[in-house]
Amino acid sequence: MAKMNMKSVLGLVLAGSLAISLTACGSKNNNEGNANAEASNNAGATNAATEKPASNEKVTITFQNIYPDPTDPKNQMMAKIVKQYETDHPNVKIELDSLNTDQQKQKLKTQAASKEVPDITVVNPAAQMQPYVDAKLFAPLNDMVEQNGLKDTFQDGVLDFYTFDNNLYALPDGNNIGVVYYNKDLFQQAGITKTPETFEEMIEDVKTLKAKGIQPMAIGEKDTWTGSFLFMNILLRTNGGPGFLSDVVAGKKTFEDPAFVEAVDAMQNLIQAGAFQEGVTSFDYNAGENIFKTGKAAMYYMGSWATGGIETSEALKDKVGVFKFPTVNGKGDPNQFMLAPGSAFAISADSKHLQETKDFLNYFMLNFPKEAFAVKGAVGIAQKVDGDFKAAGYSDMAISVLDLFKEVKGGDLSFDNTMNPGTSQGHLTSIQNIFVQKKDSAEVAKEHQSAFESNK
Amino acid sequence: MNVLKVSKLTIALFVLPCLLLYVCLVFVPIIVSLYTSTLEWNGIGESKFIGLDNFNKLLFHDAVFWPAVRHTLMFAVFSMLEIPIALFVAILLSRFVKKPNFLVSSYFMPVILSVVIIGQLWKTIYNPASMGGMLNQVLDWVGLGSWSQQWLTDPDIAMYSLYFVALWQYLGYHTLIQFTGIQNIPSDIYEAAKIDGAEGLKADWHITLPMNVPIFKISIVLAFIGSLQSFDMIMVMTGGGPGNATDVIATHMYRMSILSMKYGYGSAIAAILVVVCLVATVVINYGFNRLERKYT
Repeated sequence: MAKMNMKSVLGLVLAGSLAISLTACGSKNNNEGNANAEASNNAGATNAATEKPASNEKVTITFQNIYPDPTDPKNQMMAKIVKQYETDHPNVKIELDSLNTDQQKQKLKTQAASKEVPDITVVNPAAQMQPYVDAKLFAPLNDMVEQNGLKDTFQDGVLDFYTFDNNLYALPDGNNIGVVYYNKDLFQQAGITKTPETFEEMIEDVKTLKAKGIQPMAIGEKDTWTGSFLFMNILLRTNGGPGFLSDVVAGKKTFEDPAFVEAVDAMQNLIQAGAFQEGVTSFDYNAGENIFKTGKAAMYYMGSWATGGIETSEALKDKVGVFKFPTVNGKGDPNQFMLAPGSAFAISADSKHLQETKDFLNYFMLNFPKEAFAVKGAVGIAQKVDGDFKAAGYSDMAISVLDLFKEVKGGDLSFDNTMNPGTSQGHLTSIQNIFVQKKDSAEVAKEHQSAFESNK
Repeated sequence: MNVLKVSKLTIALFVLPCLLLYVCLVFVPIIVSLYTSTLEWNGIGESKFIGLDNFNKLLFHDAVFWPAVRHTLMFAVFSMLEIPIALFVAILLSRFVKKPNFLVSSYFMPVILSVVIIGQLWKTIYNPASMGGMLNQVLDWVGLGSWSQQWLTDPDIAMYSLYFVALWQYLGYHTLIQFTGIQNIPSDIYEAAKIDGAEGLKADWHITLPMNVPIFKISIVLAFIGSLQSFDMIMVMTGGGPGNATDVIATHMYRMSILSMKYGYGSAIAAILVVVCLVATVVINYGFNRLERKYT
């Protein structure tokens, strides 16, 4: 009996293994085939949704967005604005396609490959949206942004990151800066009375904290952009101001420039001083942030979008402050920040109802700041907000972040928003490497230069 | 075929759906990616035909590719070296354990678990002691603190840590296959051998091993192809890092085609992977066919 059982098990295993070995070599190559198939499916769906305007001027607009979570205030806010618009315009139906960030990126890539972009979609700024703009997938919004004074609601300069050849292609929902969060209690325990104003002080603080057995900083370097974001802020200082990467692109500088090598040196000093938790490259973004959020690390460098999550963390109630990233070797201006203009809404150039879609997005963005303020989501949005944050119940930390925003005097974008994807990958792995082993800084600079040249 | 008493047409008809599916899902994509491997293409916009440039760059100017190939082949070698161990475990089980099925199924457990769960589990085990890593803490307790390592973040060790997890996961799988093979060897052969004076491990050497060669081959092929495709576990545990220290062919392909948006280049890597797969399968088959002819 036992034997019979084993026989049938073997049968199953064999059948399974046959299936596996048949598909073995092929499965990794299916990407494109599947992608195309999926894209055309999606295409079918969007066509079905948009191809019915003939009678009665009924219009359906597909609105792809990244607010899928019904408990997220942004989702509720979006639903509210959409509903209001549909009530005011009975002939317009807004079809929501709500996806989480990664899904949306994937879906848009497949849709773009077959040139079937939804009426409204979401893209990232500058270099990351460049391929889509080059493929002429988006409609210019120059005329639309002038209507109803929409342009003036945006903060100065933020729209530049979505403008190519004087054409504006997308409207951002967020605009953040890189700041250092710190745990006041842990600073006090270590006897540190004031926040560091120079990078050298910061390294001293790291050593003091370390000596007291307190984890000085946390980071989630398995997601390589986190370390890159911090590194770029150091570079912003050693370069004496913004624009290093654009100078490299323009051919005015190379990565072997002293400012870059100095930044790598400073970064390595921080790492070698033992600033980050052990095993840092196996912590992803969330795991890294959690170390800080559970009160186990003293400092955390991140974009101001982290404010909400840190604010609501139980372990940190009223214990967290923020400070500007300090000067490095006396260079740089602390009022220049790493800028992180957020994801943005773009309109498909092939939209069947271009005018209606533009009208809707105009309405949506006009109402965005007011509604975001109401649901306490107005820290780090790209538009100006009228209203008393304190009275509306925003926390002290949120307000000090908002105060930092007022002092921003320009800055740099993250590496992958400035450079093409190939060079960015080279940079990200190169920086991740110095988290685990000390390297010659000139060598790191050389790696960058060769990654840049082979991806021109 | 004639024994079946069905016309060839009927056979063809019944095979057709699967064949079509197979062609559409496997063959066509392979051909398409062979074509895209000759393009300079970001996956979205215009593409440009560049002939074999991608392959030239990949084979001769890519600092990551050859280490990735080495990691992949080492992976394959380690997983194939595991098979004799699995066979040995299976022999022990069938010879010395009264009710072996329970043990076999428990060894099989990790195979059923999702790779993501396994990855997260081992990540926690490998963590530094200060972050609650079990392995390092255990080493500390037994007084071997000096042996503790940055298992996943030391570039010299990380790859071996990953191999070990894969071996741990699949030991039960191959033990099951080998065990089943051993169970299917008729017991009268052993009885005859016993009369001739061959018992215990001697009988295993002269009977179990040769008669189990076909099953052994299945395990080897599975292990080899499985390790060429290794991707998910590495993505979960290290993402190819630190730096490129744990990149294998598949993770390099992913990084290139999806993250660097070099679709053509990624396809070229895929094409090489297909070739490696095919060649290896042919070689292994050839080798074992000779063995089988010798023993059966």
